[in-house]
Amino acid sequence: MCNTYLPFPMKVERIITENPDRTLRTFDLSFINEEDREKFIYMPGQFCEFSILGKGESPFGIASSPTEEGILKFTVSRTGSVTREIHYLQEGDIVGIRGPLGNWYPEQLMQNEDVVIIGGGFAFTTLRSMIVYMLAHRERYGKITVIYGARTPEYFIFKEELETWDARDDITLHLTIDKPYPGWEKLVGFVPTVTGEVNLDPKALVLVCGPPVMIKYTLPVLTKIGFKDEKIFTSLERRMKCGIGKCGRCGIGSKYICIDGPVFSLAELNKIPEAF
Amino acid sequence: MYKFKIVYLPEFLEYLQEKYTLWAPAKSGTETEFKVISSFAEIDQSRLNTTLNPKEIFFPRREVLFSYDENGIKTPPPPEKPVAVWGLRTCDTRSIRMLDEVFSNAHQMPEKEMFKDPYWINKYADSLLISQACRQPLSTCFCNWFNSGPFDETGSDIFVIKGEVNYYLKGISDKGQEVLAGFAKAEQTDEKDAAEIKDLQAAAESYMSPALDISDLKSKLDKIWDDPLWEEIGAKCINCGACAYICPTCHCFDVSDEGKAGKGKRVRLWDACMFQLFTKEASGHNPRSNSLNRVRQRVMHKYNYFVDNYQKFLCTGCGRCVSVCPVNMDIREIIKKILAHEI
Ligand SMILES: Cc1cc2nc3c(=O)[nH]c(=O)nc-3n(C[C@H](O)[C@H](O)[C@H](O)COP(=O)(O)OP(=O)(O)OC[C@H]3O[C@@H](n4cnc5c(N)ncnc54)[C@H](O)[C@@H]3O)c2cc1C
Ligand code: SF4
Ligand code: SF4
Ligand code: FES
Repeated sequence: MCNTYLPFPMKVERIITENPDRTLRTFDLSFINEEDREKFIYMPGQFCEFSILGKGESPFGIASSPTEEGILKFTVSRTGSVTREIHYLQEGDIVGIRGPLGNWYPEQLMQNEDVVIIGGGFAFTTLRSMIVYMLAHRERYGKITVIYGARTPEYFIFKEELETWDARDDITLHLTIDKPYPGWEKLVGFVPTVTGEVNLDPKALVLVCGPPVMIKYTLPVLTKIGFKDEKIFTSLERRMKCGIGKCGRCGIGSKYICIDGPVFSLAELNKIPEAF
Repeated sequence: MYKFKIVYLPEFLEYLQEKYTLWAPAKSGTETEFKVISSFAEIDQSRLNTTLNPKEIFFPRREVLFSYDENGIKTPPPPEKPVAVWGLRTCDTRSIRMLDEVFSNAHQMPEKEMFKDPYWINKYADSLLISQACRQPLSTCFCNWFNSGPFDETGSDIFVIKGEVNYYLKGISDKGQEVLAGFAKAEQTDEKDAAEIKDLQAAAESYMSPALDISDLKSKLDKIWDDPLWEEIGAKCINCGACAYICPTCHCFDVSDEGKAGKGKRVRLWDACMFQLFTKEASGHNPRSNSLNRVRQRVMHKYNYFVDNYQKFLCTGCGRCVSVCPVNMDIREIIKKILAHEI
């Protein structure tokens, strides 16, 4: 019988500190057992439980794309006990992973459509996965537009990659920071404001992911532009334990974020009492 | 239908023990709970409802998911024998069947292996649930609100009625039939027995207060999520969680690591949506920050959300939460208030 409570081992290959106050670190993990690698079939938007035995486990969105074979990437913000232990990891250490869990971004619906991706802060992880995936299958999608906001230039994650995307002509990148900053020549302003200013076509499908305040103020802007609730998708976070719809912790209304989500359309969320 | 003399019960239980690990109600301090029984003398059938609930049998309050050391991860060995439970009440059996729907599958995606809970399944598989008719239901019992009653056989493998000199036993599942057919002391019942059973059932049902019609409960709850009524309902609750702990159908749990980095165990422990920490996030944000949110969650899960996912209420009317609450919250009164509430 398959046992989804059991983590399988992965090795920390590479650690990148993403911001100056060192609260964000990206971990590239490699599979130790070939059979775990083969079984791990996922799509952008899914998440894993990341565990350090003796310290506990926490859920994180998968930041790598299925097209990047052999590694899994997670960007972890240091907030409490488990994430602190994750930040103590060194390259070469062994960790435990359970997953892939949850549903994913509606890739099927995105095919042949224009896609708008809106992200803020370090919640950009699964959006990065989606973008890398789309760029690897570029012919499947229409126009790709990305709006990504951070406090200051130093708080963007995946900085090197952002530069390479910016240099391409098959993806439009709008990077914005909260306040003017010496040397910054791109956009300045909060994500909801920028969203209203970059001439989005409401026929596109939108993925929005970021801190709750950003989502709260961005949704009305999208509605005003004319996006339908069925075409706006976001990813929710709640505390989780089991990841398989048993422990009750991640419930919102009759849905469990771990199995019915984390990705929901705004149309679905409007029907769930506790969603916002 | 079979019968055997009451004095043969120990023999029947020994017969069960040949194939099964036997669980039955037993004393636990001043309370009663289901325990593994080695001899008949340990059984305590003096209470109708055990104080603690039967979910313990298949979903213990603390359960090791795995242990780990330098050699890797080890799961606990599966039980040697399947479980037989003597002394369940109909509501107990129904609660176990409800939990099985949650643990053996997950709503909407029953065919997926990854959603099956192996810890539950290992213990539950091949189990034999023997429930007993309640001859004298308690004042807190309201199973009849849920299309059930003191003589409801639903879900049992074997259904037992205690008469004046005999136990009457009905094999409901094939498994139950087989077990009864193999017990040497079991005889067929006759018309006189049938008459006694009929009288007992009528007497038992006369103890119950009339059932409340709750067919509108779910649709009502759909409409009152942000109604001020919850303030009235939840005002008294001190969020102690006793109701959830004692409830046979509440199944929330926590997962926690015990031990050190090199050697230890990952365990799961009963938890409850009644606690503030249940939903509190690392950022300090808590989506259910006040007591009213949490009382609403418990009521909504049982009588609304679970219905969405499993087409039934997550409550058997066992009344345990009514007996245990230190501030006398009575779930029946809550249901009545909701039904009577004008929107
Ligand atoms: C689907 C999903 C994807 C996520 N993706 C990311 C990501 O890519 N990067 C990132 O940094 N964070 C992510 N988070 C949030 C992250 O899981 C929490 O910040 C983390 O669990 C905090 O754990 P802690 O042990 O350090 O904090 P503590 O407060 O010490 O946490 C104690 C326990 O609560 C749980 N917990 C606390 N807060 C949360 C929370 N907000 N969400 C879930 N569980 C919580 C932990 O798992 C742990 O078991 C995600 C959460 C979810 C649900
Ligand atoms: S037992 Fe009573 S006081 Fe305690 S959490 Fe339940 S309803 Fe509230
Ligand atoms: S909610 Fe109360 S009456 Fe219903 S099953 Fe749980 S303990 Fe029994
Ligand atoms: S994390 Fe356990 S139900 Fe979702």
